[in-house]
Amino acid sequence: MNILSPDAALRVQDLSVWHGQSALVQGIDFSIARGGVMTLLGESGSGKSLLAQAIMGNLPGSLRCSGQIEIDGQRSDAADTAVRQRGWGRRIALLPQEPWLALDPTMTVARQVAETYELVSHPAADTQDDSLRAARKESRTLAGQALASLGLEDAADKYPFMISGGMAQRVAFLATHAAGAPLLIIDEPTKGLDADRRGEVLALLQAAQQQGMSLLCITHDVWLARALGGELAVMLNGCLVERGPADALLARPQHAYTRRLLAADPACWTPPDAPAGASASRSSPVIVEVSKVAKRFGQQALFSDVSARIHAGEIVAISGPSGAGKTTFGNIVLGLLSPDAGQVTRAPGLARTAFQKIYQDPAAAFAPAVTLRQSLRDLVRLHGLDWQRLEALLARMRVSPALLERLPRQVSGGELQRIALARVLLLQPALIFADEPTSRLDPLTQQEVIALLVEEARQAGSAVLLVTHDADIVRCVADRRLHLGPAAQPA
Amino acid sequence: MSLSSEYLLEPEARRWTSAQIAGVLLLVLIVLFAWLGPLLIDADPARQQLARFLEAPSLAHPLGYDQLGRDMLARLVHGTRLSLSLAVVSVLSAAIPGVLIGLLAAWCGGWIERVLAAFADAVLALPGLLLVLLLAAFAPGGFWPLYVGISLALWVEYFRVVRAASRILLASPQVEASRLLGFGPGYIVRRHLLPALLPRLFTLMRFGLAGAVLAMSALGFVGVGLQPPTPELGVMMIELLPYYREAPWLLGAPVGVLFLTLLGLLLLSPQKGQA
Repeated sequence: MNILSPDAALRVQDLSVWHGQSALVQGIDFSIARGGVMTLLGESGSGKSLLAQAIMGNLPGSLRCSGQIEIDGQRSDAADTAVRQRGWGRRIALLPQEPWLALDPTMTVARQVAETYELVSHPAADTQDDSLRAARKESRTLAGQALASLGLEDAADKYPFMISGGMAQRVAFLATHAAGAPLLIIDEPTKGLDADRRGEVLALLQAAQQQGMSLLCITHDVWLARALGGELAVMLNGCLVERGPADALLARPQHAYTRRLLAADPACWTPPDAPAGASASRSSPVIVEVSKVAKRFGQQALFSDVSARIHAGEIVAISGPSGAGKTTFGNIVLGLLSPDAGQVTRAPGLARTAFQKIYQDPAAAFAPAVTLRQSLRDLVRLHGLDWQRLEALLARMRVSPALLERLPRQVSGGELQRIALARVLLLQPALIFADEPTSRLDPLTQQEVIALLVEEARQAGSAVLLVTHDADIVRCVADRRLHLGPAAQPA
Repeated sequence: MSLSSEYLLEPEARRWTSAQIAGVLLLVLIVLFAWLGPLLIDADPARQQLARFLEAPSLAHPLGYDQLGRDMLARLVHGTRLSLSLAVVSVLSAAIPGVLIGLLAAWCGGWIERVLAAFADAVLALPGLLLVLLLAAFAPGGFWPLYVGISLALWVEYFRVVRAASRILLASPQVEASRLLGFGPGYIVRRHLLPALLPRLFTLMRFGLAGAVLAMSALGFVGVGLQPPTPELGVMMIELLPYYREAPWLLGAPVGVLFLTLLGLLLLSPQKGQA
């Protein structure tokens, strides 16, 4: 990497972000050549989003930054955000994480893209009515062409809530780069997406690069970093700990943290000695029997004629494409939804609270205005349990007791998911339905949460119904697989 | 999001803005004035001394005497107390059934919810003041029609807000998780619904209080509210209107109290970034 190369799309020198006297991001130096790709790999809290915000010039007001940033040959002091803000959309653009939230829900897709062409791309359109109208017409044509180029012509007149997450991401991409910014920062583009969607995102980014754009991609997804290639930098606690060409770095990581991060990728997990557990659970009693259930929403049939037996203590993965009704199926098993046809029969003698659920977004599964300690104490009191047992569980989950004084949104996703797991295990459930429990977590946290889930469930003899889009996780932890799809058949 | 969001979410003590402090102070002063006033002012608001009519303010009688020679400060104190307590009572008696019926509708769903919603819409179709006028026609000048009318006109907004917000919450993962864990309706209302609803209810109640005080004054002003000689802010205004040239301070007193009460209530509004 040549910092002195005159031909850089982005050059960052000694960039730091401060909160009061403490540095959240410290002494970052790197540059991206024109048309180059750089991936920043790191877990939540490593400061990679802050770095992106510092480069864009939209840090939260309580933070300040120092250092030098040069975009497309224009050099500015990092603290002088006004210079860079003038270049938003034209010199530098940001594709935010979960871009479907960044679209305006009250505007059609085509108008949102056209708006960038009209207002950012040609801001000089003078005030004469004719030329204004012409510019508007032209921008609409351009937006139509752009949408067509990504196969979105059918979505043009739809509103953001009517299109899928993957489509919304492509629309947001078009809207951000319509004004021709040569440098695009992409924040966590694959967060919460399944394998098919991840492929689409990769294709989108590779196409952008072929058009000559320079990309700075921020992710915790090792798969994406590997697939994008280019330069790779690993971030830990606000510092770059390792940097180099992606293929070389991923093949021979030097830093201990990088090695741990790569090992946490589900593709690298080693399947545990599961077969023993699997054969044992096959002979154990059936806790719930699902026979020939069907569910439809409106005219859309999700699945029909699905039958399954779940035995005590086994781990069953539910697989199937997006929209196949995996969550709906789980909710039917839990008794939260009733099937349109067929029956769900619980084994007799199970407590009302024997079936529990772990949610994709743990923060959404706790009462937001109640401290964690209060929530857990309520539960202990309701069922007349022993607080000591909960404390022991939390200790096994490596949750510090001090965290319990906080509100759910004040602890990290990984910590909260572990607390959610402890909360569920406290009731000694016969079945835990884990609905994408780690898709919003970092690789290291994901590995830890999955390991704890499997270990604790095996120990407690609870069956687990696991929904995950990650085939590697299924391969490593599941005893067997239940496939949902257009022609759903238990495998 | 990573670090940045955590920094934005730092547990910060919720600070009162200076506007809100001013609002609270103002309301406390008005309440003290209305409830402690009668103890300090040794005058009967109904006692007439016709010889002293429209007498100018003096140290002993800071607001002077009205057109019938009654001590104006004593009347103002009693009027404020009556208007405020009527407003508080009617807002509470609108809010409590409104919230309960709203929760019931959201919880039960189905035809119960549809019937309740249709009833609320029917009430909403009548302008609130018209409803009070209708009731007042049965018992002119009475306290009850005023109270019942204002409550009947106001409960609908509590119902609608509570029903809409509760429906979303009841379908959310947090409530689903609590149900799976075995918690019953009481717990879900207490821990999930009320914390989310209270800020909105507080806002509604502030506007409701201001609206009730205004409505009562307006009704008194057009003569269908409470009747003279009851000291009530609206009634006092209509009585004193003819004398505003000779003794402007007399009309100014109830108008001023009403203005300050409404100002106090409105200053309590959550500021940008709160609520």
